[in-house]
Amino acid sequence: MASSKVSRVGEEVWKSRIDKINAEVVTLTYGTIVAQLCRDLIVPNTASKTDYTAVNAELDRMGYNMGLRLIEDFLAKSNTGQCTNFRETAEIISKVGFKVFMNITPTVTNWSQDAKSFHLVFEENPLADFVELPDDGRAQEELWYSNILCGVIRGALEMVQMQAEAHFVSDVLRGNDTTEMRVTLVRFIEDEMPPDDE
Amino acid sequence: MSVYSFYIFDRHTECIYTKRWAIAQSLRRTVPTNALSNGDVPAVARRGLNAEDDAKLIFGTIFSLRRMVRQLGGEDDHFLSYRTGEYKLHYFETPTQLKFIMLTDTRVGNMRTVLHQIWATLYVEYVVKSPLAPTEHPKGVGVANELFEGGLESFIASIFPSPTQ
Repeated sequence: MASSKVSRVGEEVWKSRIDKINAEVVTLTYGTIVAQLCRDLIVPNTASKTDYTAVNAELDRMGYNMGLRLIEDFLAKSNTGQCTNFRETAEIISKVGFKVFMNITPTVTNWSQDAKSFHLVFEENPLADFVELPDDGRAQEELWYSNILCGVIRGALEMVQMQAEAHFVSDVLRGNDTTEMRVTLVRFIEDEMPPDDE
Repeated sequence: MSVYSFYIFDRHTECIYTKRWAIAQSLRRTVPTNALSNGDVPAVARRGLNAEDDAKLIFGTIFSLRRMVRQLGGEDDHFLSYRTGEYKLHYFETPTQLKFIMLTDTRVGNMRTVLHQIWATLYVEYVVKSPLAPTEHPKGVGVANELFEGGLESFIASIFPSPTQ
């Protein structure tokens, strides 16, 4: 599909078929979840030293479980068929996926030579509005605040036969210039065969 | 027009939902056996199979057909339905490899949109979005909930008016 057509599909679906919710509700709910995780997941044998690696992992896991279901809703609403290649997949993720669920279109850039990985650059990120990372000297280095998005992409792609890996490489919350995520295609998942029936 | 049965298979090739409707008499009429000169078992004998075996047979059939169609017509080709003397099988597959199958009588037209609608408006809404249902449905756990069953029942009833007329 041509790039402009993809944007039109995203626009169309977002306008006509999506129930909207107040963005602040989302932002604040998500913020509460992350804050609670930071309180709950503590490095063993310390009083209140947050284990940010565990928080990242937990956010990713939550996102993964969301992605597994979200893809079905996405396909039903957007009516996009199978992608012919990974470039098209990237376009759809950015211009339809993020558009219909979050009303943003992150830019797809920085393709690797073998066309198996790309960067998503988030000019805006509704999850991170009003957010300041805790000032404990470690959160800035270790916490990926919006890590749930990585999980969503991973889960959603898995359901359409693509094993992928996604992680953030920079975040404005950490003081970087941009918020960027790297998505890498690991492999296409083969069709499963029915078990042998003797 | 009447509908005989409906199946959903997940991406692990497992049958996660089955529904059968009362079989119209026309299908159950005695099959004339005189045409079978080569001593084949008459078709009626097949009725000994249970629902589970039926599902397996159906999956085997569509699995092979799907392959064959792709080999002949290219990667993007799909088969939509096939017809025998007794029934017609309609097939619809989502990009997530859920397979929706419906068996109806032979006079029924294209049911692809109907299967698509069952997926988009019933399965996605009532099964996928149900917070209590597991994400995968081994042995069909969580699929046959009340909303989905009720929705399917009335949707089918609206397409196939009651056979008692």
